[in-house]
Amino acid sequence: MLSTTAAASAKSSDLLSSRTINHVVVLGANGAMGLGSGALFTTAVPRVTFLARTKDKADGGLAAAVKMVRSSTVENRVDTGSYDEDFDRVVGEADLIFEAVTEQLDLKNEFFERIDKVRRPDSIVATVTSGLSINQLAEGRSDSFRKHFLGLHFFNPPNVIVGTELIAGKDTDPKLVDFIDAFCTARLGRAMVRTADTPGFAGNRIGFKVLNECAILAEEHGPLLIDELVGPYTGRAMTPLATVDLVGWDIHRAIVDNIYDNASDEAHETLRLPEYMADMMAKGVLGRKTGAGFFGKDDAGQRIVLDPATRKYVPKSSISRPDLAFIDTISNLHRVGRYVDGMRAFAEAKGPYAAIAQKVIGGYISYSFHRVGEVTDDISGIDRIMGYGFNWAPPSVLVDAIGLKRAIAMIDKSGLPVPPALANAQEGTTFFDDPQVNLGKFFVAA
Amino acid sequence: MAQVPEVYVLGGYQTDFARNWSKEKKHFVAMMREAVLGALENTKVEPKEIEVAHVGNFAGELYSKQGHFGAFFLEIDPAFSGLPTSRHEAACASGSIAILAASAEIEAQRYGLACVVGVEQMKTVGAAEGGDYLGTAAWYEVEAKDIEFPFPKLFGKLGDEYDKRYGLKDEHLAHISTINYANAKLNPNAQTRTWYMNYDHAMSRDQFNGNIGGRIHISDCSQVTDGAVAILLASPAYAKKWADRMGVPLESIPRIKGWGHNTARIRFEDKIAESRGSKYVLPHVRSTVTSAQKRAGVGDVSGIDAIETHDCFTTSEYMAIDHFGLTAPGESWKAIEEGDIALGGRTPINPSGGLIGAGHPVGATGVRQVLDGYKQVTGTAGDYQVEGAKNVQTLNIGGSGTTSVSFIIGT
Repeated sequence: MLSTTAAASAKSSDLLSSRTINHVVVLGANGAMGLGSGALFTTAVPRVTFLARTKDKADGGLAAAVKMVRSSTVENRVDTGSYDEDFDRVVGEADLIFEAVTEQLDLKNEFFERIDKVRRPDSIVATVTSGLSINQLAEGRSDSFRKHFLGLHFFNPPNVIVGTELIAGKDTDPKLVDFIDAFCTARLGRAMVRTADTPGFAGNRIGFKVLNECAILAEEHGPLLIDELVGPYTGRAMTPLATVDLVGWDIHRAIVDNIYDNASDEAHETLRLPEYMADMMAKGVLGRKTGAGFFGKDDAGQRIVLDPATRKYVPKSSISRPDLAFIDTISNLHRVGRYVDGMRAFAEAKGPYAAIAQKVIGGYISYSFHRVGEVTDDISGIDRIMGYGFNWAPPSVLVDAIGLKRAIAMIDKSGLPVPPALANAQEGTTFFDDPQVNLGKFFVAA
Repeated sequence: MAQVPEVYVLGGYQTDFARNWSKEKKHFVAMMREAVLGALENTKVEPKEIEVAHVGNFAGELYSKQGHFGAFFLEIDPAFSGLPTSRHEAACASGSIAILAASAEIEAQRYGLACVVGVEQMKTVGAAEGGDYLGTAAWYEVEAKDIEFPFPKLFGKLGDEYDKRYGLKDEHLAHISTINYANAKLNPNAQTRTWYMNYDHAMSRDQFNGNIGGRIHISDCSQVTDGAVAILLASPAYAKKWADRMGVPLESIPRIKGWGHNTARIRFEDKIAESRGSKYVLPHVRSTVTSAQKRAGVGDVSGIDAIETHDCFTTSEYMAIDHFGLTAPGESWKAIEEGDIALGGRTPINPSGGLIGAGHPVGATGVRQVLDGYKQVTGTAGDYQVEGAKNVQTLNIGGSGTTSVSFIIGT
């Protein structure tokens, strides 16, 4: 069974003393996840080695890590090197080998094969993969490797976002999983969530389902309207399609394709990448890193928005905003801290635009609760990763704010399956159980 | 003189000090609302039971172009309609002044249950503008006008005065910073709980730990913070009723056992001139600390299990160490070197992370300190619990050592 809570605190000190991590080797230390995770490890580990294709690239990763955490003292704990010159020696010395190379199965396999040959039999091997199967990545490796191998999925940037997924393979030593859970919680300040080895794990499975559904809806309604309908007032800091632009369309495609191809569920079609996105990507559009995605600026610096129907960009100023008074009303309630009133007004808002927003949010709640038992043991694991990893109002927070009956009615009215956990609950049940989270922080006024 | 009734602390609530309420596009009333409703929920008190409310806030007129904060208490719940409310200001000591006012009213038997909420929304403006606003806690025209970040410079001068009288090393200030940041990592409401900090960084002097004025570097400073904290204070009669309802003995409920309150001249230079010949650099602060200890009947600092002090800068905590009596005057460094002030030490200072680690939403700080004292003496401080704490003393300072308030919370 999975456990979504951190290892019992009474056992935490015993667990922490069961092993020592004095040396971490980061592979792919020139990439964003590699250098960010490397910087994070320096806060708790005396020696961290940054490895990349060349020593220059690893040095570049270190320089970026220094800027990321804004302290030159990171350098005091980091040494750098290249795969050709230093790999066998430092991997042989390491207590923890942290793999953060490009998200390709073949490439990762090459690294794991090499690690398997030189690692100490007791060293830990962790991958930061955001969705590749841990069991598949461990295939062909030695018994000792598989016993010491697990997924440790930090979210970007790791020094800011504390939500972290911990994924054990079928042969991973359970004691090691408990140790990593305790170590990351106590020493790295992480909010740990244990997930099953399912495509996209918990966070990306649910998060990218919502993001992709917004991309699908943008084909008919336009990105601007969809981002406003599923905007901050629905419980997130950043709007969905702006998030896809920031993440990168290539990453978005890799994640949704992986889930679409390898998982089947009641919302399967919402995970199919829209054709217009594939067409635009063929033309080199990848989001913010290529200058534009759903949103961008023209040569004169004017804001432009993609029209998915024509595959062309139009000036933002040319798009008229329909009457969205319900959003203004809810935003004004959030602004003065009346989140429950705001979310009740959301569930009861009338009209075709409100219906679109209700379907996406209702779908998020429905999809999340339906994943319990598949990606995590209980809803609190999903709540934690959506709250601490995506900075979205967790599904339970939404149900509690909207009210159980209203939430069920909203899901049902949208033609979506009502999760049994909601349908069978008594009115007055509250679902969110983490008293340390300020629920209000998720509800951003527009 | 008739015996003064006790003032009980029933509990309270602190908002997460890492939040940026401007980014959330919120009005400060949302912050007050979360704090007060959180306090009511934690204490299982109904809104209609509150008889009076006091709001601590320093500079809402500047940060939010809004005065009359007391009136905003009524926006929290319809049950507060007609409630007597007021707002209190004494720079960074505003929250403690609000508590003093509320407790005086309970002692005078005017009310049985008071809510005190401290609030400050500071991220509405940039760092330089905010620094200028904070300058109004000093004699603005003389000490702050046209000066970039006047307060770090004033507290740098406090360090200089220590250096002149007794000697002062940067290493000791760096340890103060390191301890506060380390404690903050244990506090789920601390602003800096995910920030990168260690002793080497606190000692570094490059662009990532730049100089803010005099001997003060970034790591010596508390940061710009948004936050609100609410507590409920009760008379013995209400506390008894509440204890019965909660099924706990009255004796288990913490009280404000002692208080101290002094004001010194507003200009830093005048304070220092006045203290020449005194063993203490800020004798009025010393008097605040000792009068609270005397009123609480704890003797001296040996009767105190933990301290929540005003470390707006490392120099203010350095000053607090000898002013609390943890060392002889001028020997604060000894308590740092001995490990006395760290968690697990003889008298831990700022287990919460203090202003440097937990954050410093100006008007909320005094209330936050008392709430942290309450958590310590009720054993509910979680990972930053000081084992077996019975008495916790606070020290909240407005201006450059100008208004000082201290409370002792204990069971």
